[in-house]
Amino acid sequence: MDTRLARRLEARFGARLLGPARGHLDETEIRIGPGDVAEVLRALHDEPEFGFRVLADLAGVDTGEVMQVVYHLWAEPTVTRDWLRVIVDGLSRDDPRCPSVTFLWKGAEWPEREAYDMFGIVFEGNRDLRRIYMPPDYTSFPLRKDFYLADDAARSAAEGVRHLEQMATPPEATPPVATRRSKVR
Amino acid sequence: MTRTVSRDDPRVLLESPATIYDAIPPYPPRSEREAEFYALRDGEMLVNLGPQHPSTHGVLRVVLKIDGEQVVDLDPVLGYLHRGIEKLAENADYHQAICYTDPLEYVSSLFNELAPVMAFEKLVEIEVPRRAEYIRILSCELLRIASHGLFTGWLALDLGGYAPILYGFIERDEIVEMLAALTGQRMLFNYMRIGGVNGDLNHEFMSRLGEWMSRAAREIAANQTLLNENEIFVRRTRGLGVIDRETALRLCLTGPALRATGVPYDIRRAHPYSVYPELEFDIPTRDEGDSYARYLLRLDEVKQSLRIIDQCLEQMPDGPCMAKIPRLIRPRPGRAFAAIESPRGQYACYAISDGTDQPFRFRIHDPSFVNLQSVGVLVPGNLIADTMAIMASLDPIMGGVDK
Repeated sequence: MDTRLARRLEARFGARLLGPARGHLDETEIRIGPGDVAEVLRALHDEPEFGFRVLADLAGVDTGEVMQVVYHLWAEPTVTRDWLRVIVDGLSRDDPRCPSVTFLWKGAEWPEREAYDMFGIVFEGNRDLRRIYMPPDYTSFPLRKDFYLADDAARSAAEGVRHLEQMATPPEATPPVATRRSKVR
Repeated sequence: MTRTVSRDDPRVLLESPATIYDAIPPYPPRSEREAEFYALRDGEMLVNLGPQHPSTHGVLRVVLKIDGEQVVDLDPVLGYLHRGIEKLAENADYHQAICYTDPLEYVSSLFNELAPVMAFEKLVEIEVPRRAEYIRILSCELLRIASHGLFTGWLALDLGGYAPILYGFIERDEIVEMLAALTGQRMLFNYMRIGGVNGDLNHEFMSRLGEWMSRAAREIAANQTLLNENEIFVRRTRGLGVIDRETALRLCLTGPALRATGVPYDIRRAHPYSVYPELEFDIPTRDEGDSYARYLLRLDEVKQSLRIIDQCLEQMPDGPCMAKIPRLIRPRPGRAFAAIESPRGQYACYAISDGTDQPFRFRIHDPSFVNLQSVGVLVPGNLIADTMAIMASLDPIMGGVDK
């Protein structure tokens, strides 16, 4: 963890951070709420004090209780030698919504589509938010912790009886099964 | 009264049902961009490229919107090779999760194993023996040469030149045979282990490597002259698919495609891992940002890889090649991110542990996937035939794109 960077982040973003900056080995991490995503990431990208020009990764996470979107950013070694991890915490599992960062990195478009496809996280502002891996008539989100393979997969075109690209009304949703909950927050 | 319908009768065509080979999808548009793409102006038409097309390097389907011979816009359709690696890994233990990552970028599988292994090692906090680190770098750099050799061949193949792919495969075959002596496999090596590598260097590997290294530089240089001085090749790739530095960063491009625009972003130096800080090598960059620059840049990288292999062999320490770790790993709850430089760019893994023996979340960031989306910027305005040259110069591997 880069304590100098952590102090600067805390000084710059203050109350926007949910809790102090933390870290482990070569990673420094901050947590923000979904309302601050655009402002915080724009500041991290644009301000010469930070200059995180490279979006190394964008991932969706389902902790079993909330949804998260996790960004990994890279800056010149003169700024920091760490990866900066920005966790957008506290998206509701029923209706996860997060602002898109495609206004900063156009290349975030596909990773956001992937997170939508796998977790159902809606990125507001992404112009091309549709499924990317699963067929268009697929109705569930495979990487969510309440995804129940036997039911959810059987509803899909992978069953083999329906044509790949025909629309079908989704059958009744099955009741959610036991969720594996995370001990990590 | 029955009436036989001639095959030339237009009604026969009208009555044929829609198939997946029709470019326009039989459902309403799901996003703003999709609606815009599938609304055709006068003179425009849609053409499917793939999913089974030799120049898409796997099963990629690209819907091209063309006006005459010119591509106006394109819409890549992914998912034909999706295997749900991330979901599978959540239901496997840490050792098993590694072998799922092998078939992602199947021409450079060692890199696919290295990133998750490094992330897991961060979770478990294991110190890897130095000999194991050197063996990892040595085998990875060998595979980088093989992968770049194949890239050269594929690029030429997509431009209509058949000979270079044969030389590319000769080069790759020697390296792969060498690695088979080391790992026991030719393609999906499954060689990296949490805490080290699966086996120490052996006599057959070392003798093959020594014999190959004595002539590698000369042979690679000879192969490269096949294309470097080929006028057709140069004129078809130079100035094609140009991208500038700022756009490349905004598109999250990494690897040779980014370095060909002049940004020296190579994880081996930008965020050093393993033993790279102890090795001497340069990060080649170019400023043109076109297909030809991406091609030349890979040739320069092969030379640097040979340098690294030389140094690895020279500095290889003695000792164990595997740390002492338990059979069943239960890391403490936490998160870890590890990134490496694969032949195609930054390959990263983000793993979350919840204290059980299975990863709670296993995220793979694949450079092919992110690089491929830049075709939406690079291709429009070019000819259909040049679409292949641009796509091949990004070197996407569909196993990695579709996960």
